Amino acid sequence: MMNNNIELKAINKTYQKSKNSTDNQVVVHDNFNLKINSGEFVALMGPSGMGKSTLLHLIGGLDKPTSGQVIIGGEQINNLNESQLTRWRADNIGFVFQSHHLLPVLTAQANVELPLALTHLNKSQRKHHAATALSLVSMADRAKHFPKELSGGQEQRVAIARAIVSDPKILLCDEPTGNLDRKTADEILSLLAKLNKEYGKTIVMVTHDLKAAEYASKVINLETYTYDLKAHNVQEARL
Amino acid sequence: MKKLILLLNQGCALTWINFKSFPHRIASSSISILSIACVAAVMLAVLALTDGMVKTMARTGLDNTLLVMRSGAVSELQSVMFPVEVNILANHQQIIRDKNDRAIVSAEMFVNAEFKSKSGVNDQSLSLRGINNNTYLFRPNFKLIEGAKFKTGLRQVLVGRSIARKIPELKIGSTIILGDSSWLVSGIFSDNNSVFESELWADIGIVQSDYQRGNTVQSVRLAMHDGTNINKLNEVFEADPRLNVRIIEEKVFFAQQAQDLTRLIRWIGSPVALIMAFGALIAALNTMYAAISSRSKEIATHKTIGFTPFAISISILSEAMLLACIGGLLGVLPLYLFLNDVTAATQNANSLSQMMFNFKITPFLMAQAMLLSVSIGLIGGVLPAIKAMRLPVTLALRDN
Ligand SMILES: Nc1ncnc2c1ncn2[C@@H]1O[C@H](COP(=O)(O)OP(=O)(O)OP(=O)(O)O)[C@@H](O)[C@H]1O
Ligand SMILES: [Mg+2]
Repeated sequence: MMNNNIELKAINKTYQKSKNSTDNQVVVHDNFNLKINSGEFVALMGPSGMGKSTLLHLIGGLDKPTSGQVIIGGEQINNLNESQLTRWRADNIGFVFQSHHLLPVLTAQANVELPLALTHLNKSQRKHHAATALSLVSMADRAKHFPKELSGGQEQRVAIARAIVSDPKILLCDEPTGNLDRKTADEILSLLAKLNKEYGKTIVMVTHDLKAAEYASKVINLETYTYDLKAHNVQEARL
Repeated sequence: MKKLILLLNQGCALTWINFKSFPHRIASSSISILSIACVAAVMLAVLALTDGMVKTMARTGLDNTLLVMRSGAVSELQSVMFPVEVNILANHQQIIRDKNDRAIVSAEMFVNAEFKSKSGVNDQSLSLRGINNNTYLFRPNFKLIEGAKFKTGLRQVLVGRSIARKIPELKIGSTIILGDSSWLVSGIFSDNNSVFESELWADIGIVQSDYQRGNTVQSVRLAMHDGTNINKLNEVFEADPRLNVRIIEEKVFFAQQAQDLTRLIRWIGSPVALIMAFGALIAALNTMYAAISSRSKEIATHKTIGFTPFAISISILSEAMLLACIGGLLGVLPLYLFLNDVTAATQNANSLSQMMFNFKITPFLMAQAMLLSVSIGLIGGVLPAIKAMRLPVTLALRDN
């Protein structure tokens, strides 16, 4: 990856409600364009159902656009096949969700180590990497604990450690503080800001929380953005 | 190559996690575990049963012994032969004679005797064989393990070890009721675990009179010279108008009986095992479907992290096979612990009397039952594994 620029070009995303009929289409994105530069921390806001999560899934290669291009670091990922995409995701993207999705049977350390099973690192290297990631999120002292022995904020920290352990350039966060109280949320957000500033991670974070958005270097409100985009397109068409 | 190692690595990591969380799912998996256990147990029982029978029967017959019955008789019970016939047979040149120039012939009478136990609970039909002194020559494995042989002319019986073990009343010195008369148990014998150990032996004269058979017998055993051509002998006997008999090597006779029996058991056992296996398959399928739908988030998370669908399906398959292994062991081990070496009884298909044999649960038979179990797990796991592979990540992640 030469850079970590995220580019969405002329994205259309429609869902078919039922397989056979065409009239039941849900158009989520229509001719949508977006560019996020390497090193940015973008907060994606907007009303529920606008397609914020869908955008994250498209950027992260979990989903494909109906038409249009998804270009990450100069690579057009919407043309990759399923297994290439899986591999690409493992190398380039870290996800953080509203729920931590940690495995209850594994310790914090083992949870964080899990993505490293996809790498050629040996056992001690994996241990070392996971420990580093855990200390980065200030959870080194809880490495041996199981998720149920941790608080919500701590669980989310471990989830972030898991997202960054294989050192991806891009972090995609879908309402990462949605389940947390203000104080804990602020801690998590500071952590994300630190990862952005000190470690150069490009972060796209979906949030409903205006306070959370303040931590970002740039806020995109999908509702007004889409409106402007449409107006812009219309203008362009008129010219 | 490197790719393959990575893939295996992934599969192992996920399998390990699934195994780790398996104890939590034991309860929800119990139905499939139990049904697989049942299949393994039934399968193993059928195998051990038929195996035990074949071995017992194979031990029973002798190479150079000619067994003669009335032509058309399938078993000794249906046969009847007259003294003249026995004489004609005995005088054939292929029959070995002893130092007194008497043919080595054992004429035997085989009946179902109604045993009336003292308590009444053990009442059953027992195989009573009337024999003469020559008979012992045809039983090289015969061993008197307790007491003495019966005395000719007296109402005494010599009891086979297997049946003696099963019916404790059949012990030395005790008097038992067979049919309408009482008999003294004179001894217990063994015969290398052959079918004869399921029989009671007594003086043929007394059996003949007790069962109103005059001086007829049912079967005749003759010692043949080595290399006797059975087919030629048969032609000779068939050509003789005074004879109306069927001849067969004793060994062949018992082997055929074993075949009939095992065929019967397989005919009954196999469909039962098959239907049960099908049921277990459905149960395993169901359990695994439930497992992946309750873990759809977990699976989606793995995919998000970058685990390949293939690795995920491997972990699902391994879990299904773990389930099947536990089920298989649960079915096989109790049988091994409690039934191995136990003597089992069955109604002999032809004589309708008791036949005993050893229930040996060998590693080979256990391996077969385990293989069946694991196959059930494997087949039952395939569809759920495919479903897990195809699970749409975005859908699974969405519903928080
Ligand atoms: N698989 C699907 N089939 C049909 N419609 C879908 C599917 N997935 C998403 N949608 C629709 O797409 C739209 C956008 O969904 P998305 O989850 O991206 O919204 P969102 O902005 O993240 O909302 P929220 O803030 O509530 O999380 C919604 O109207 C949703 O119903
Ligand atoms: Mg959303």
